[in-house]
Amino acid sequence: MLITAALAAGCRKVEGRLLRVGLASEPKTLNVWLASDASSRAVLRLVYHCLYERDPETLAFVPWLAESLPVYDPAGKTYTIRLRQARWSDGRPLTSADVAFTVRLIKEFKTPGCSRWKYVLRVETPDPHTVVFRLKKNFATFLSRTLQISILPAHKWKSVANAARHAQKPLAALMRFKNEAPVSSGPFVVRQWRKGAYVYLTRNPYFFGKDKTIAGRRLGPSIDGVLFKFYGTTDVAMLALRKGEMDMYWHHIQPGYMSVLQKNPHIRIVNSPKSAIYFMGFNTRRPPFDDVALRKAVEVLVDKQFIVKRLLQGRGSEMWSVIPEGNKRWYNPGLPRPGQGLNRKQRIKLAFRILSSAGYSWKKPPLDATGRITSRPGELLTPDAKPMAPFTILTPPADYDPARAISGTMIQEWLREIGMPAMARPMEFGALIQQVKVRRNFDAFILGYGRLPLDPDYLRSFFHSRNDRPRGWNISGYHNPEFDRLATAAQREMDPEKRRRLVFAMQAIIAADVPYLPLYLPTLNEAVRTDRFTGWVPMLDGIGNRWSFCLLKAAKGGK
Amino acid sequence: MSLKRYIIRRLAEMAIIFWIIQTVLFFLFHLAPGDPLSRMVDPGMTHEEEMILTEQLGLREPVGTQYLYFLGNFFRGRFGISFHYGRPVARIIAQRLPNTILLFTTAVILSALAGTWLGKLISWRKENRTDKIITVGALVCHTLFLPWIAMLMLWFGAFKLGWFPVTGMISPELWILPQATAPEKALDIAWHMILPMATLFLIHFGSYLLIMRSSMLETLTEDYIFTARAKGLPENVIRDRHAAPNARLPVVTSVGLSLAFSINGGALTETVFSWPGIGRELVFAVSNNDYPLALGCFLLIAAVVLAANLVVDVLYGYLDPRIRY
Amino acid sequence: MKNTEIAMTRNRPYWRQALDENWRRLRRNPTGRSGLILLLIFALMAASSFIPPLISPIYNPMHGVDPHISHTTGPSLRHWLGTDFIGRDIFSQLLAGARVAFMVGITAAFMSVVLGVAIGILAGYAGGWADTVLMRLADMIMVMPTLLVVLMAAALFGQLSIWTIVAMIALFRWPGVSRVIRARILSLKQRPFIEAARIAGASHLRIMTRHLLPNVLPLALLYMTFRVTSAIIIEAALAFLGFGDPTTVSWGMMLQWVWKTGHMFQAPYWLLPPGICISLLTLSFYMLARAMDEILDPRLRRRGES
Repeated sequence: MLITAALAAGCRKVEGRLLRVGLASEPKTLNVWLASDASSRAVLRLVYHCLYERDPETLAFVPWLAESLPVYDPAGKTYTIRLRQARWSDGRPLTSADVAFTVRLIKEFKTPGCSRWKYVLRVETPDPHTVVFRLKKNFATFLSRTLQISILPAHKWKSVANAARHAQKPLAALMRFKNEAPVSSGPFVVRQWRKGAYVYLTRNPYFFGKDKTIAGRRLGPSIDGVLFKFYGTTDVAMLALRKGEMDMYWHHIQPGYMSVLQKNPHIRIVNSPKSAIYFMGFNTRRPPFDDVALRKAVEVLVDKQFIVKRLLQGRGSEMWSVIPEGNKRWYNPGLPRPGQGLNRKQRIKLAFRILSSAGYSWKKPPLDATGRITSRPGELLTPDAKPMAPFTILTPPADYDPARAISGTMIQEWLREIGMPAMARPMEFGALIQQVKVRRNFDAFILGYGRLPLDPDYLRSFFHSRNDRPRGWNISGYHNPEFDRLATAAQREMDPEKRRRLVFAMQAIIAADVPYLPLYLPTLNEAVRTDRFTGWVPMLDGIGNRWSFCLLKAAKGGK
Repeated sequence: MSLKRYIIRRLAEMAIIFWIIQTVLFFLFHLAPGDPLSRMVDPGMTHEEEMILTEQLGLREPVGTQYLYFLGNFFRGRFGISFHYGRPVARIIAQRLPNTILLFTTAVILSALAGTWLGKLISWRKENRTDKIITVGALVCHTLFLPWIAMLMLWFGAFKLGWFPVTGMISPELWILPQATAPEKALDIAWHMILPMATLFLIHFGSYLLIMRSSMLETLTEDYIFTARAKGLPENVIRDRHAAPNARLPVVTSVGLSLAFSINGGALTETVFSWPGIGRELVFAVSNNDYPLALGCFLLIAAVVLAANLVVDVLYGYLDPRIRY
Repeated sequence: MKNTEIAMTRNRPYWRQALDENWRRLRRNPTGRSGLILLLIFALMAASSFIPPLISPIYNPMHGVDPHISHTTGPSLRHWLGTDFIGRDIFSQLLAGARVAFMVGITAAFMSVVLGVAIGILAGYAGGWADTVLMRLADMIMVMPTLLVVLMAAALFGQLSIWTIVAMIALFRWPGVSRVIRARILSLKQRPFIEAARIAGASHLRIMTRHLLPNVLPLALLYMTFRVTSAIIIEAALAFLGFGDPTTVSWGMMLQWVWKTGHMFQAPYWLLPPGICISLLTLSFYMLARAMDEILDPRLRRRGES
């Protein structure tokens, strides 16, 4: 009896046009300064908005909270931005004061991301709808990096900032503010967050974009609310999706599920390109990988196609540059692709040639006198004729990301084919980061960045010699004065075409020196149910973008 | 020694043990590699920003200073602030703990009742076939691998039959409705509890049954049972009135301890069923390098186990007048 | 029953005789016998785990992938229990898992019992402050849930190797053993044969190793059997939660792969075997332990037997 009663209660149909979104974990916070996890960012994306959005197709900037693209005055080094007539969810107008407040908050409290604002001298607000940014010097990434901040409501955050200012650790105090009922500028407003269970958002009556046409799209939202539910494992989430307990799963779905999902007529799988990089990094500070020839030999021995076909089950592509191919504006398509399409024997021969011409030798070479491959080569001898010391390839553990961990094991086997004493070692993620980034005591590692910004400024972080220090982002310890010069120039170059050429040259240098060996780029697979809603907007980095939530419509004949 | 003095002595001992555990754990956490920042790896964050953040989170102070802060705060009832949630650890624990208590107390009490009842019955039929079958069944239940049986429950109850929810503790669709009533909500929780509870029931039930059975068999060799038999009392009276009350003692101990240790197994059950309890939070905190939260959860568990030990010992004396302190 | 009593109080040959006697009883005890048979099957599995990788490298449990299969498949002739998500053979993994389980269970239990017996004898025999300190230490360790402690260590110090895990389990599982052994030693200490040995001029070490140890050995063996069960479960649970040794194929690890790669509902042929194996292996050790318990505790012995 209890069961039937409970069944009746649980099977209650959702009423109205409530979108149910599955998240892989509970958001940790709704405070933008603390939100570093995907779930928090997902919810916050519907709450706080930016001045500019990227067009889903062209990826060019379109005005969002701003009325038009910024006007740059090279003489005074000022950007002038006009704001739309917008309101916060409590009815107060959103003005230039809010923008100025947010920027000053970043600069004063030195929040993560503050260094992008170092070149901004000050913010001026001549009238409630005009913001003027005065720069210290030319700065290419102002629009694409610096200005990508969520605008906060000054009237809500002023008191928080005041309280934090007097705390012993101001930034920590700011980050610890519990922002349970944020005032929103987006299409939805947080109605209720029941910890451990759900976050419930309802429509924001003051959303500026309602019925406006931006970039040729007439915005809604035409749905009544969003209910975020949390699913600890993909398994359970997929079951919920199939049972119709959620309408969208805001997370990458592993290839293993595809066949089951494809059988369901109400489920659509959306493949989107990702702005990400999965790579093998070398420690160029110490032997053995301080030698570029050895790195190049590893490059040809690694079969990227195998990884893509096998470990990603075809859902991804090989990577040849440190900038993903999907980032069309900055990706250099003209880079060499050493080893592409070769079979194992050809790879071993090529690596053999690279290594022997660099002075490496073998006790028993992998190729015999007739050029045939021997099954078990002797150990590799370095140019000074000593046996190469064993080295390890650190990877995250298999449960964190099976593809990366197993890539490590496969690469180990491939390198051993030519006598390199390689050992793949999975390591807990936090400890791995500590080892490579803080202690910098490693030989090689396999990692990935799943959320690369579209602006290629990160190349400077990764490879500029200034960032080679504990906790610095130049993990490889790569030093190249020519690269440093190009990177600095690219950061200053205001002409997009010239900057593009600089970025192309930077990619060519990295491809030649191989401090990072780009491996693969997985496709982002997301799944939605088609029986209740339609109109998801595919875009780089998936359908979970602001456009989708503004454009979704109830499906015809939907429940 | 009087009961009062015994309890005071035990409490003092507990305090010392607790302090040692606290200290050891604290230093363990601070000597370990990996810090909470490594979880926030974002190539967009510059070196300078990262240094500011470590400073602000208090990660750069000497360990000794941090330890004194920690102890000082502890005595003022502050257990630190979680790196991950940015909220006080005590608040997070207070949110999760009731969920754990609800699930485990229900499961342990139900299985203890069922286990003692059945154990009592079958002990009276020693060597009988029912006894054998049930004993073997209990043995199997007792040694089942918990996360696996939890997964099987999900596979069967939620996937094959589709009767039960796959995850969590409540149905959000119901709870967001303004017109949802309290009984409806209670029923919803009960519905979500069935699978995790069945899992725990199965595991605990077996062990209670076995304990009760062997305890009964032991009691049956006591003189007063012979006396009762000699008096010609009916068998069920001997069983229920004479043997069972004494035989329950070990079960009481076991219930007390398994309630305390439930947080241990809770890590597994709660993780598989996504039950928002303290065990799942601990696993989560540990894998996120969220020291304050992990430390808080662990200290809570240690405190509960210590307290349960004391309660069980005192209760033992109360139930069995032969024991003197 | 009389035999054992006498044997216990005398010296070596009798003690060995008692063990033989108990072994005979164990084989006659139905619980013990089924436990032994099950154990034998698992031991066979563990022993044969070396065979599949020799047949073909694709049967290597850790990194042998079938070149024609790149996702999980059901049982077939080529792969008796099917393959996992990248085409590794589940049956070879299951065999390798048996080896790991035995290794972990027996070494951890052995280490913890050695530790527990040594500390128990020392505490019981020495008495005084040594006793107090050791027993307080035991109390302290006893309140720490072993699984969570090892879990934290695993998370804190990166990935633990399987041997570190074994050592940690041993380190946190001795207090129970040492308390029981100590209690037994306390009563043995009063027995005349100890007094006699002392008068005969035996050193403390000799008394502890020659006279006390043999008398607690059956008890130690019993506890060791119980400890095997818990060690296997702890290692499996740890691996299941993702904190195991990533270079070892254990049953817990297999379950974690099923769970984390999301095949819980899709691949019963992959979900069932490791769980059944863990449960049955722990069951067999547990049954053995119970049978031993019954034999060593004569009060519960069957009437016809003594």
